[in-house]
Amino acid sequence: MDSKREQEVLLKVEHLSQHFGPVKAVDDVSFDIMKGEVFGLVGESGCGKTTTGRSIIKIYDITSGSIYFKGQRICAGVRSYKEESARVRKDTKAAVKALREDTAKNPGKKAENDRKIAEKTEEMKKLLAENGEQIRRARFDHKYSDREYAKKLVQEVRKKYEPLLKEASGDSRKLAELKKQYKSDLKIAGKTKLITKIQMIFQDPIASLDPRMTVSEIISEGLVINGIKDKKYIEERVYEILELVGLVREHAGRYPHEFSGGQRQRIGIARSVIMSPELLIADEPISALDVSIQAQVINLLNELRTRLDLTILFIAHDLSVVKYFSDRIGVMYYGKMVELAPSDELFAHPLHPYTRSLLSAIPLPDPHLEKKRTRIVYNSLESHDYSVDKPSMRELTPGHFVYCNDAEEQKYRKELGI
Amino acid sequence: MDKILEVKNLKVSFRTAGGILKAVRDISFDLERGKTLAIVGESGSGKSVTSKAILGILAGNSIIEGGKIIYDGKDLLKIDEEEMYKLRGDKIAMIFQDPLSSLNPIVKIGKQITEAMLLKNKAARRESRKNFNDMLALLAKNMEAADGQSGARIRELAKTFDTFCIRANKLELRYNQADAEAEAMLSSLEDLCFLIEKKQKVDVKGRLKEYRGRLKKLQDPFYSANYKAQIAELAGCLDKAAASGKGYPPELTAALRRCEELLREIRSQEKPVFFRIGYFELKNPDADLHGVPVEKLNQMSLDFLNDHFMNEFIALAAGGVKYSHEISYGKKKQLLPRMEEAKSYFQGDFDKAGAEKLCKTLSAGVEDAIDRLEIAKDSMAYTFRTSLGNAIEKYFYYRKHNPKEEARFERQSKKRDALIARGRSVDWKVVPKVVCDLEELRQEILDVIGELEDSWKAQLSADTEEDFEKRAVGIVDYLKEQASRVVYRVTRSMAREKAIRLMEEVGINEPRMRFNQYPFEFSGGMRQRIVIAIALSADPEIMICDEPTTALDVTIQAQILELINRLKAERNLSVIFITHDLGVVANMADDIAVMYAGKIVEYGTADDIFYDPRHPYTWALLSSMPDLDTKEKLDAIPGTPPNMIYPPQGDAFADRNKYAMQIDFEQQPPMFEVSPTHKAATWLLHPNAPKVEIPKIITERIERMKKAGGVQNGQ
Repeated sequence: MDSKREQEVLLKVEHLSQHFGPVKAVDDVSFDIMKGEVFGLVGESGCGKTTTGRSIIKIYDITSGSIYFKGQRICAGVRSYKEESARVRKDTKAAVKALREDTAKNPGKKAENDRKIAEKTEEMKKLLAENGEQIRRARFDHKYSDREYAKKLVQEVRKKYEPLLKEASGDSRKLAELKKQYKSDLKIAGKTKLITKIQMIFQDPIASLDPRMTVSEIISEGLVINGIKDKKYIEERVYEILELVGLVREHAGRYPHEFSGGQRQRIGIARSVIMSPELLIADEPISALDVSIQAQVINLLNELRTRLDLTILFIAHDLSVVKYFSDRIGVMYYGKMVELAPSDELFAHPLHPYTRSLLSAIPLPDPHLEKKRTRIVYNSLESHDYSVDKPSMRELTPGHFVYCNDAEEQKYRKELGI
Repeated sequence: MDKILEVKNLKVSFRTAGGILKAVRDISFDLERGKTLAIVGESGSGKSVTSKAILGILAGNSIIEGGKIIYDGKDLLKIDEEEMYKLRGDKIAMIFQDPLSSLNPIVKIGKQITEAMLLKNKAARRESRKNFNDMLALLAKNMEAADGQSGARIRELAKTFDTFCIRANKLELRYNQADAEAEAMLSSLEDLCFLIEKKQKVDVKGRLKEYRGRLKKLQDPFYSANYKAQIAELAGCLDKAAASGKGYPPELTAALRRCEELLREIRSQEKPVFFRIGYFELKNPDADLHGVPVEKLNQMSLDFLNDHFMNEFIALAAGGVKYSHEISYGKKKQLLPRMEEAKSYFQGDFDKAGAEKLCKTLSAGVEDAIDRLEIAKDSMAYTFRTSLGNAIEKYFYYRKHNPKEEARFERQSKKRDALIARGRSVDWKVVPKVVCDLEELRQEILDVIGELEDSWKAQLSADTEEDFEKRAVGIVDYLKEQASRVVYRVTRSMAREKAIRLMEEVGINEPRMRFNQYPFEFSGGMRQRIVIAIALSADPEIMICDEPTTALDVTIQAQILELINRLKAERNLSVIFITHDLGVVANMADDIAVMYAGKIVEYGTADDIFYDPRHPYTWALLSSMPDLDTKEKLDAIPGTPPNMIYPPQGDAFADRNKYAMQIDFEQQPPMFEVSPTHKAATWLLHPNAPKVEIPKIITERIERMKKAGGVQNGQ
């Protein structure tokens, strides 16, 4: 991969939190996905990796943080702003109270204190107003990002057709044809959603396909919703995609139950790539498949990636596969991202104790090594002492981030020899 | 080589709408005690069917076409449901693939774990009491017959034995329970100390209350008699600490530490031999044994027991055993010529009524000749009636059925040919005929008789002098064991404690809270752990794990595998591990069987399969998964497994095999032996076969692994 492409950020996740009541499924997670790369997300079940994927595709309304796709904010939560406002209010209240008490003790300072109080209140009002604006903007982006995107597309279509229409103004037949096309293009542009550029492949190929729809209906549903009515065009696209994922045209008229697990997963992949997405979220796409089929699906995804120039967020718990498939890997533990690094670097120099324990648990197809392998047990209470020094995400070597505090950072640096 | 389970030539098929589906086609393997056998293959290869056949839980449309599954000398395919019921879950447990469908959605988790424990315990107690009584009565009867005179004395001895044996076991049970209490409390204490040290939130008051309860339960006259004062004092300390309010006062930590020390000390003391004490207490009800040093206690009670009871009892029992043994020998000798006759009868032409009559008389004779005082049961004789009966029934079934099946096949083939000749397109195939070779079935009947005959002949001709005294001691030990089971009563609270311990063992956090939750409140991985806990709750001998970790992630998978490995070592458990992931079994398996389309295609030790794979399917399995160093494109296996209603003529894997030769499509390859432990069914091993290179991805990996292993060896 050339360095220029790597610079372009396709998806930016900032301080993403997703709370379900008291459960912090995802807590303050930030990462970027570059265009054209495969970003692996690993961790044990319940660590929030699937929730992260679903938050990106807006299945949930996120609690706080922002997600940017192609530079546009598509998801935003307001909890952090609200908390900030509450904090400011509380601080000001405390400060004002202290000042009032001071005035009661020495009445001589009344004028000065009153001035200070007024200042504080003013400051609070300003901050609250700012926060309110942020909240309003976040809510707007969260709700209307698709509409804004469609508006932009419509404008582009207009720009494209205006000179053409002018050009063809003399020829009435050509003009009518052009107008017809213009109208349908406008309609499609108006219905296009930014979110369709992000597609998801689900874990269970059996549960994720509607048993009463034919394969062709399943695959083309996205196009139909998008306002495309040209039956012939849809058919062509379906055939094209079917062949792309290694199925044949004859399969289009069949129902999901007639297929084996691997083929069903291919249908799921076909359904997601027909919308020509730029980002594919693959949520454990191979966990439910047989070994011999798993390799087929991985090879297919790899092929699609190069052919369609896809960026993939690959969520899985099989570390060997993630290593094989991903360029960069993020390790999650109980809603936190604890380590993020290029995949070779992560496997060569795992720093966070949880990553180490995860790597030590990978089964290897080698009995002699296996008998000697000792699993490192991770216990967050024993491994860290965060009572005084709070941890944060820190970059130790270029591209290698670890969630640690000062003491640990020193330790890790020593281990890396820098 | 102690084989605990043998599967021989097992064939299973299923009746389906489309025809007979051959799920398992003639497989054989052995499972050794304390070892793990892994069965690897993709879905539809028949690995789950094999395991279900072992447990006798095949679906209703299944047909067992042949073969044997021998456990504890019994053929599991032949024993009746009553007997199977005793083995299933108790001796052979199974962990199922899908944790969703193996838990009851409307019953709380805790109840599901404890239910089996309580029920099985109740049944086991009743059963053991019956065994105990039967054995003792039988022994007494034989003793009387052998001795001739002292009938009343023998009856009295037997009665005394009954009373004190049960009594001793009750004492022991109480001791063990106190010890278990101490153990549980100790681990809980360590946990609490750790949490306090790390300043974590913990319900100290609740714990202290629990400890008070536990300390009370420690009071057993033999267990904590010497520590009464200390325990009482500590209880006071804990009370004070509990009353002192919030926070963790230093006195609390000190008290906890002292508690820990005391428990360790109590637990380190020697355990008295209760069997002897039971007799002593029975005869000297007024003697105060509490506080007597253990060593002295043991010696004193041993002398007393031997002098007053055991020497006499053993001598008489030895006489009884000898008597029973001799009678049985005589009967066996008489029966041998009749077996010979029966064999010659079955070799000739025979009719159904005659065969059944002969079967009846012969089995009655065999059952009569069994020496019932044998502890290690000669199960070949015990199951003789059912085995012979089944074999005869099968013979006559196929004698009637074969011509019909032939006719049907003929008819359908003709119809199909006619349709094709008329130029119609035919989209159905003729269902292959299911016929059995009658000669083979006749041989099966002969084998059943022959096997028993041979084993008896060997027994009779072995002229080693039997040590009857040793056998008598063996019977006493057996009775002791049964008695301990009779008194071992699992109460609800004990079951609860054990369930919580098991839940902790399989890695469920806060088991006390989760005990009262429903399955839907658990994630998939957690549910699987519950299923494992349920399987373990019965302390099985053989555990069949049907893809237990497929739905789990790496760390948990590693934990579960370690758990199974640990239990295997601790309980001398034998494990059949079914999976499709070869990576998982490297650590687990001693032997590996690779299955494809209902056949074992390669069988060997873990080293054989991983370092020297021979079958193309094994290569494909190994090369289709990436490991941490894989960079190149994966070798996916093209296509899907064949439809087993129409099993392919030659090697079933030929269609997907890039190394397939012409002969692979025509003829089924036999098992070629690579080494004494390693076999593979592929024509590539035939001396005339062309040399084929193993895929590079595998050779490279093996090289790399050997290197890595070598470096580690050198360290």
